[in-house]
Amino acid sequence: MPVVVIASPKGGSGKSTSAVLLGTELAHAGAQVTMLDCDPNRSLSLWGERRALPPRMTLLADVTESDIVKAIQKHDADGGIVIVDLEGVASRLVSRAISQADLVLTPMRATTLDATIGARTLALIGEEEEALGRSIRHAVVFTMTRGIESKQHRGIEASLGGQGVDIVQPALMERAAFSALFEFGGDLRSMPAQGRMEEAIKNASAFAQAIYQRLTEAAQ
Amino acid sequence: MSDQPKPFAVDIKQLKSRPKDTSPAAIQSVDRAGEQHGFVARDATARRGRPPSPRTGQVHAKVLPHIADEIAAEATRRGVTQGILIEEAWALYLTHKSGK
Repeated sequence: MPVVVIASPKGGSGKSTSAVLLGTELAHAGAQVTMLDCDPNRSLSLWGERRALPPRMTLLADVTESDIVKAIQKHDADGGIVIVDLEGVASRLVSRAISQADLVLTPMRATTLDATIGARTLALIGEEEEALGRSIRHAVVFTMTRGIESKQHRGIEASLGGQGVDIVQPALMERAAFSALFEFGGDLRSMPAQGRMEEAIKNASAFAQAIYQRLTEAAQ
Repeated sequence: MSDQPKPFAVDIKQLKSRPKDTSPAAIQSVDRAGEQHGFVARDATARRGRPPSPRTGQVHAKVLPHIADEIAAEATRRGVTQGILIEEAWALYLTHKSGK
């Protein structure tokens, strides 16, 4: 099972929202998805407690530094996807999870602070690639973006792109439906309408397809 | 012809697992790499020492001095706390009360 590790030492960058959107959209598209909640704030667990998980989804909570590698290994098999949601700090749990990843996704708000702190994850991945002797694919997704990109957003994107960082298109926009996932649980299709639902679903689905494409490329 | 895009569907045959090194040596080298970038151990370590006692209920009984001395001596002789003797006495009282 390809393993997607969602990592950024910056809190509030949109890791859990990205994890839930990715997991629910991939499950909706037919994948078997296992979500590992490694965040002591238990964001995924709170989402999972709101209502029954969507079909084809499993959620494991309270995964810690000492059992993260075993937990990933246990669910890492052909035919599905493991999504690991991590806490927003620089910890050994993060570095160990990255070591088991097929793709590391770093959500980032388009601010200099998020980009600076998020870049620590990219540096760590490079170091781990060297230590493990294998390449670890990684990508950045901008979160909570607006319809019209700010000058700062364009600058950060150009800077990361110039350094060869893979940037997921589309970015995840700031949408009422995305934050409401943690109020209602389930997925975008089962929750009561929040704002422009069609646009939200389109955005989330396109994001999941972009990640799926990277996973299938990584497997070849 | 419809302009609607084809719905996104996952081809599970494409989802292949790649082998990853989970050996202790590999994890150690990953830990070292992480530490260089400030990704350090943050899990709470286990507390040392005796585990906390479940006996946290407090009674405030005053007894005659000679009975207090006898309870204390018996607890010392058996190597238990006075609370255990009170629990045993209470169990006997309940048995007696129920007439069994």
